[in-house]
Amino acid sequence: MTPMKKRSIAVTGIGMVTPVGNTAADTWSGLLAGKSGAAPTRSFDASGFSTTFSAEVKDFDAESAVPSRKLLKYASRSHRFALAAAAEALADAGIAPTEADSHRWGLAVGAGMLSVGYEDLTVVHDYAAPDGVFDADGLMDPGFPGNVVNFCRWQSNAGQALLTKQFGIRGYATSVHTACASGGQAIGTALKVLRRGQCDFMLAGGFDSMINPTGISGFCLLGALSTDNDNPTGASRPFDATRNGFVLGEGAGFLVLEDWEKAVARGATIYAELAGDGNSLSCYRITDSPPDGNGPIQAIRQALGDAGITAAEIDYVNAHGTSTQMNDRSECAALKAVFDGRIDEVAVSSTKSSMGHLIAAAGAVEAAVCCLAIRHGLAPMNANYHTPDPDCDVNLITDAPRPMRIRAALSNSLGFGGSNSSLVFRHPEEVQA
Amino acid sequence: MKKAGEKIVITGSGIVCGAGASVAEVWERLEKGETAVAPFTRFDGTKWPVKVAAEVQQDNRFLVSDRKLHKTISRTDMFGIYAAEKALDDSGIPQHREELGAAETEVFNDRTGLIVGTGGGNYHSNYDFLPLMTEAKAAPEGEMVHFGRELGNQVTPMWLLKNLPNNVLCHVGIRGDYKGTNACITNQCVSGVLAVAEGAAAIWNDEADRIAAAGHDAPFEPEMVYYYHRLGLMSGEAPRPFDAARDGTVFGEGAAAVVLERESNARARGAKVLGEFLGFGCCGEASGILDLEPDGDGVKRAIEAALADAGITADQVGFICAHGNGNEASDASESRGIRGVFGENIPPVTAFKWAYGHLIAASGIADLVMVLEALKRGLIPGIATLGEVDLRISPFPISRQATAPRGDVALLICRGFGGMNVVLVVRGVS
Repeated sequence: MTPMKKRSIAVTGIGMVTPVGNTAADTWSGLLAGKSGAAPTRSFDASGFSTTFSAEVKDFDAESAVPSRKLLKYASRSHRFALAAAAEALADAGIAPTEADSHRWGLAVGAGMLSVGYEDLTVVHDYAAPDGVFDADGLMDPGFPGNVVNFCRWQSNAGQALLTKQFGIRGYATSVHTACASGGQAIGTALKVLRRGQCDFMLAGGFDSMINPTGISGFCLLGALSTDNDNPTGASRPFDATRNGFVLGEGAGFLVLEDWEKAVARGATIYAELAGDGNSLSCYRITDSPPDGNGPIQAIRQALGDAGITAAEIDYVNAHGTSTQMNDRSECAALKAVFDGRIDEVAVSSTKSSMGHLIAAAGAVEAAVCCLAIRHGLAPMNANYHTPDPDCDVNLITDAPRPMRIRAALSNSLGFGGSNSSLVFRHPEEVQA
Repeated sequence: MKKAGEKIVITGSGIVCGAGASVAEVWERLEKGETAVAPFTRFDGTKWPVKVAAEVQQDNRFLVSDRKLHKTISRTDMFGIYAAEKALDDSGIPQHREELGAAETEVFNDRTGLIVGTGGGNYHSNYDFLPLMTEAKAAPEGEMVHFGRELGNQVTPMWLLKNLPNNVLCHVGIRGDYKGTNACITNQCVSGVLAVAEGAAAIWNDEADRIAAAGHDAPFEPEMVYYYHRLGLMSGEAPRPFDAARDGTVFGEGAAAVVLERESNARARGAKVLGEFLGFGCCGEASGILDLEPDGDGVKRAIEAALADAGITADQVGFICAHGNGNEASDASESRGIRGVFGENIPPVTAFKWAYGHLIAASGIADLVMVLEALKRGLIPGIATLGEVDLRISPFPISRQATAPRGDVALLICRGFGGMNVVLVVRGVS
């Protein structure tokens, strides 16, 4: 088999809704300032939970972000973030599907956990399980207010459906879920669809919101969240020796991806080349990370190989860096294995130190951050870092963002269950047209 | 999609659904025209407008022998793990790996990928919270405060893990040490077929040497029946696709899986070949969550894309396995899409949901396993529930009886919420 020259893919639009800003620009300035999105949880009374804070999206105006009243009715909180971030990305790219080319546009999204909301569960409780034991006949009670709009909202591809409808995307469309790797895998999927010529333009991203009683419960039960209830803004401290869990965030991130030559021809602003995608399974344990980095290592190497570059060309790593003991140690072991003697030359930060962990949206938002870092020649910092951990002695960007020309950036997303996703972005000037 | 001249073949398959737990069992039911749709047993349907489903009969221990695992996975995961491991065993890949040295095994594992299509969430998992909610409602400190405080005493720490949508991917990976490229697709009904398509694409793209692609789902639960019924999507009996009196679909449950690899690799290890994957198309209709376009334009575009990807013409298609879910609007638009491509020269058409119900995320991949069997035997099972063909929409060759395909290539249509249409094209081996 003769290797074909891979089609170059440009990132031409960015949109974000995150705990540190409701637009890409606000998120970027929030990250540069090392701002924390964490605060006591406001959307419900979390005071009884082991973790009482989270990184919520604040003052988000869904009505102005999502003009269609009908779509808004069907959209969950995370769908609303997605619709807003996707609209921003398309506006930023200065291009959108038209009647003539809608079938050449595709969509790939990392969608959040597919569980129903607490309010809907309350209704089921009251009619079918007032004594705590579920009896299906309760749903047959003539008064049972089962809501078909809510049913539609919880369908696995509901966010995808709302996005394709809103923007008139009629080509390839898909939703993926590999827990915390979802957003990265969605962007990797989009890259593949573009390279094989199934679409000319892809809207790709991720969205999630698990800051609700059942969502937070899952993580509290596992003991995965930081319990620094007296210091929410300092709780997410990836790679710090005293780290004790992640901070749950929410939001969405979207990129507009298109054929490089076409982007150049239309005079688009190109943030970066989406150059490579790699993914692997750790096959270790469901929640634990492999201590030696076996798993993440393969994903990173695949992504480098797919991009056609070596580890020597990576200048910045946006780490998965969740701020749990195991993840951060495992990820550093993987980085050391891949970058070998060059590990001190590679700048590393986890922007989860500011934004918290956006779960299925994390990989997408962090991909967007890599593109902005390349464009602005500025790598965002790893906030809240005070106490070195000998197992995590990588070249962390602490205290302030670091001005640097980034030839290529690596974004890692390592999910529960062992799915690892790595993406490589290159500076536009590094791309040989 | 560029294929660099290399053929992708299917070397293993596995299935579990209401009609059986092996390819042979399910095929036998199809061939005999016996539906697995029957009064359901998992809850009392006396007061319910819908009383039937195609339930999987095997118990959890039959599906996954490791009982420790039962505490950390859901019913749908049992199906998925079972089918995926059956397909892998059928392909001979684990047996082949036994013969490799340590270094070779490591490369082999890194180059073996898993792609799973799943229904994702379910309703019953949230019922674990119900006892706590009852207690919390009466708590003097307030409902939410009590809920948070007592959570750890009332609900298993494994709750989140039991409900990870990517459980099948992870557990098949951990159990078999398959560490290569992977994805978990949550695209409602088209999840399973898209897993197969992305699996083939991953091999063509040289991300992996072999892929196990699986689809699994367990949609049959009370709230799903309630909402599908409310939306007018449920029939009270086995579905009758393309029938003039069709009135909806019925839930099945289960999983199916296939193993894909390069023909040269399959030949080198002397594997049996079940079929060849030729190409696929995936097109949305931008129609919202439930709506679909009446003219079947998305179906038509997906078929055209799949034929082009496969490099074949419409007249080379030996038969069509339709989505045929038995719903008025879906069957009508599907029929229009088929006619839009094939005109008056439509090959025999069949559909299988009458036999094992609608497996949602696993529906299309279950159909694929049966399509390969049909091509192998040169026999297309008919639609046993078909009464009077709806001539307004189905002036194509469709029958209660088994017929013969007019060639060795089959086209499979799978449709889902979100206006999704995925079409696969496969060549059989007789």
